[in-house]
Amino acid sequence: MNSGNDTQATTSFAKRFRNELGLIVALGIVIGGTIGANLLMNGSADYLNEPVRNLEDILHQTALLGIFALGAAIVIIAGGIDLSSGSMIVFAGSICGLVMLILAPKGPDMLPDPTNVGLSVVCIAIGVTMVVGFMVGTVHTWLITIVRLPPFVATLASLVGLRSLAKILNQAVTAQLGNQVTTVRADDATFAYLSEWWVALVIFIVLGILCWFLMNGTVIGRHLYAMGGNEEAARLSGIRTDHLKWLAYCIGSVTAAIAGVLYTAKVGAANPSTLAVGYELNAIAAAVVGGCSLQGGVGLIPGVMLGVLFLRVVIDSVAKIVRAGSDDYQGMIVGFLVVLAVAFNELRRQGSGSKKSFFPGILGSITIPILAILVGTVIFVLTQKTQGVTVGIVSGIIIGLLLGGLKLTESARAQRT
Amino acid sequence: MADTPIISIKHVTKRYPGVVALDDVSVDIRQGELHSICGENGAGKSTLMKILSGVITEYDGQIEVRGESVSFRGTRDAEACGLSIIHQELNLVEELSAAANVFLGREHTSSLGLLNNRKMNAETSELLKQLECDVHPQAVAGSLRVGDQQLLEIAKALSLNSEILIMDEPTSALTESEVERLYRVIDHLREKGVTILYISHKMDEVFRLSDRITVLRDGKLVKTLNKDETTPREITHLMVGREIEEIDLGDSRQIGDVVLEVNNLSLPWPGHARAWRLKEISFQLRRGEILGIAGLMGAGRTELLECLFGASEETPAGKILLENQPVRFRNPNEAKRAGVAMVTEDRKRLGIFAQMCVRENISMCTLEETVTSGVISRKKEAELVDGSVARLSVKTAGAESSITSLSGGNQQKTIIGRWLLTKPKVLLLDDPTRGVDVGAKAELYRLMDQLCRDGIAIILTSSELPELLTVSDRILVLAEGRMTAEFDRSEASEAAIMEAATESA
Repeated sequence: MNSGNDTQATTSFAKRFRNELGLIVALGIVIGGTIGANLLMNGSADYLNEPVRNLEDILHQTALLGIFALGAAIVIIAGGIDLSSGSMIVFAGSICGLVMLILAPKGPDMLPDPTNVGLSVVCIAIGVTMVVGFMVGTVHTWLITIVRLPPFVATLASLVGLRSLAKILNQAVTAQLGNQVTTVRADDATFAYLSEWWVALVIFIVLGILCWFLMNGTVIGRHLYAMGGNEEAARLSGIRTDHLKWLAYCIGSVTAAIAGVLYTAKVGAANPSTLAVGYELNAIAAAVVGGCSLQGGVGLIPGVMLGVLFLRVVIDSVAKIVRAGSDDYQGMIVGFLVVLAVAFNELRRQGSGSKKSFFPGILGSITIPILAILVGTVIFVLTQKTQGVTVGIVSGIIIGLLLGGLKLTESARAQRT
Repeated sequence: MADTPIISIKHVTKRYPGVVALDDVSVDIRQGELHSICGENGAGKSTLMKILSGVITEYDGQIEVRGESVSFRGTRDAEACGLSIIHQELNLVEELSAAANVFLGREHTSSLGLLNNRKMNAETSELLKQLECDVHPQAVAGSLRVGDQQLLEIAKALSLNSEILIMDEPTSALTESEVERLYRVIDHLREKGVTILYISHKMDEVFRLSDRITVLRDGKLVKTLNKDETTPREITHLMVGREIEEIDLGDSRQIGDVVLEVNNLSLPWPGHARAWRLKEISFQLRRGEILGIAGLMGAGRTELLECLFGASEETPAGKILLENQPVRFRNPNEAKRAGVAMVTEDRKRLGIFAQMCVRENISMCTLEETVTSGVISRKKEAELVDGSVARLSVKTAGAESSITSLSGGNQQKTIIGRWLLTKPKVLLLDDPTRGVDVGAKAELYRLMDQLCRDGIAIILTSSELPELLTVSDRILVLAEGRMTAEFDRSEASEAAIMEAATESA
C-alpha cells in the first residue's frame, strides 16, 4: 500500500516535471558534447581549463536574461504576451542613469559628475526606475483591458516606442544639464557593484523563488493559470481578471526594469541604440523552451529557469566550439531551439510520433532541398576554414539525400496503408 | 445486393489511454433505413461516428461500406465514399457566406480559375429551397440562427450527393418549430433514399423517426432492436442498465421568504433594431423555490441570468433586490460575494478549465478559504473537494484526474460543486442538462430538489419543456426579451408555454 503510493508519487513527480527533467538531461549532453568537441578539435577544453570563470560568466548571463524571462513567462502563463521587454530594459536603464545624473553633484566644469553620486542617489534612481516599470505595466493593462487592444499590439507599440522615447529623453535631459548626448553614463562607483556576477544571480534566484511561490502556492497564482487557460470561464467564476492582468503585466515590466538596471550597471552606460536589442524574443524563447505554452495556462517556473540556463549554455557552447563572438550566433540558436522545443512538445502531444509523415506532398518535396541548403550553409559558416565551402556543400547534399530517403520510406508506408 | 448492408461495422474497438471507448462493436446499417444510435454520454456514440466519418483513423476492427472494406484517412475519404456527418457542434466558417460554406474546399471555378460565385449561389439557393430554408446564399453564416446553420450543413452534405448522413444530436439547439422542419427534411431525404444514422438520447425523436435502434452502453453494444418491437421505456432501461424511476419532485418543499426581487429590468441592445435584449422584466424568487425560465432561442433567457450575475455586456436598467437590499453587480466577482452563483450554458467554453484537474476545477471559486498564511493548503483544498465529490457523487478516478476525462454530466456536477462551495443564496442554472445523458439528468434533478430543501433558491433555464415542467415550482415565459406569461406548477402545460413563448411583442 505504502510502496504503491510511493511509486505513484514518483511517477506523478516525473510526469509533472517531465519537461524540467528533460532539460537537465539536455544540459548535461550539451556541456559534455562541448567539452568532447573541444578536446577532439583542440586537445583542450575551455570548460575544463577555466571552470570557475566559465561558470561565473554563464551564470551571470543566465541571471540577467532569467530575471525578465520570469516576467515574460508569467505574462504568457496568464494568457498574454509582453513584447516590450527589450525596449523596457533600455528605457529603465536610461531612466536610472538620468536620475543619477540629475542628482549628481556638479563637477568643476559645472557639469554633473556621475562618477560618485553616493548610495542614497543610487537607491533613489533604482526606486524611480521600478516605479517607471510599474507605470509601463499599468498602461499596458489599461490598453488591453479597457481599450481592448490585443496584448500583441499594445506591447508591440511599447517595443517600438519606448526605445525611441529613451533616446529622445536622454538627449533632452542631458541638453538641459549642459552636454547633450544620447548614451547616458552610469559609471558611479556604488552603482558599479551591481555589475558583479553574483548580484544578478542572487536577484534571479530570489525572484525565481518568489515567482514559484506566487504561481504554485497562492490563490493569485492558481487564478493566473486559470485565466491563461480559459479567460471567460475565469471571469464567470468570479475571478477579477482585470486585476490579474494588471499584476501580470506589471511583473513583466518591473522584471524588465530590474534587468535594465543590471545591464546598465554592467555596461556602465545606457545606450538606446544598442542595449538589449531583440532581448524580448530571447525571454519569450526561454519561456517556451522552459515549457510554457503560448496559448497560456501552461508552464512551471522551475522549467522557465532551466529554459533560460539551457538557452545560455547552448549559446555559450556554440561560441566555444566555433570560437567566435557568441552574439552573432545568438539569434540563430534561439530560433532553432524555439522551433525544436515547440515541435517536440507538439509531437509528444500528438503521441503517435512514429507514424507521422514529415515531408508529405509537394510542400515536403520542396522543403527538403531548402533544409539541405540551410544545413549546408550553417556548416559552411561554422567551419570557416579554407575547405569550408566543400564541407558545406557535401554536408548539404548528404542531408538532402537522407531527408529524400526519409520521404521515400514515408510515402511507401502511406501507400501500404 | 439488397441484402448487403450499406455499412457494416465489424468488431470495432477503440482504446484511449486508460479508457476503452468502444469495445468490440458490430452493427449493420441497412440501405435506406433511419438507424438511431442511443446511449448515455460516454457510451461511445460519438467515437463510433467519428470513426465512420474519418475523423478518427486509428482503431481495431473493420468497416465495410457496400460490402467493401474501407479505411478512411480523413473526412475527405469518407465523403468520397458518400458518408457525411452533421456534427453536434457545427463546423461552419462564420465569416463566409452560406454558399461559400456549402462549397468550401470544392469551389466551382470559371475557366480562368476564378471563383464562379453565380453558379455556387444558384446551386446553394436550390439546395436550401429543398430544405424549406429561406436563407439567402450570400448571407454570412455566422449571422444565421442555429437551425438555419444546421440546414446549411445538411445542404453541404446534399451537394456532396451523400448517400449516408450521420446526424449527431441535431435537435439539441433547435426550437420546436425548427425541429418540426428538420423532421420534414429528414422525411424528404429518406424519400430520396438517403440512409440516416441518427444519434440522440431524446426518446420521442428516436421513436418518431427510427426504423431500428441500436443501444450502446460503456462502449459496448447492448442490442439492436426494431422500433416496432420495443418501447421508450425499454430503450432507456437498456441505456442506463436500470429503470429510471419516475421522478417525483417538488412535493412538500417549503417555500420561504423572497430572496430576490427584480423590478422592470431592461437590458439595452445597442445598434440593434429591437434596441432591448430584455424589456421591463419583473418577478420575485423565494427561498427553496425553483423558478423555471422558458423561451425560444434568442428570447433572452441567458441574458436575464447574466444580468442577475453581473456578467452582461451592457449595464442593465431597473432594480434588483437581494434580500431586500438593492444590488448592482458590476462583475461576477461582486455577485459571487453577495451570494449569487451561476452555472453557465456552454460548459466547454465558459465552464471548465480544460488543462486543470478535477480538484482545481472544483476549488476555483473558494480557494481563499483554503489559504493558511498566504499559501493554499493542499490538505484543506483536498478536504473541500473530497466533500463536494462525495456530496454530488461525481464519478471520477480521483480528484487529480483531468476534468476532460469526465463525462458531460460529471463535468456539470463539478461545476455545480464549485459554486455550491460558495454557499450561494441564489443559484442560476443556465440549461444545465444540455448534453447530459438521461441517468445524469435525473441525478441533477434530484440534486436541485435537495438544494431547494436546504434553502437555496434556483432559477433554471432549459430548452426542454418537459424538464422545466418536472422540476419548476413556477415558470416564466420570455418571448423576444419580454415576459409574456407566468405559470404555477399546477397550471403549466407544454401547449400553454409554447403559446406564450411564440407570442410576438
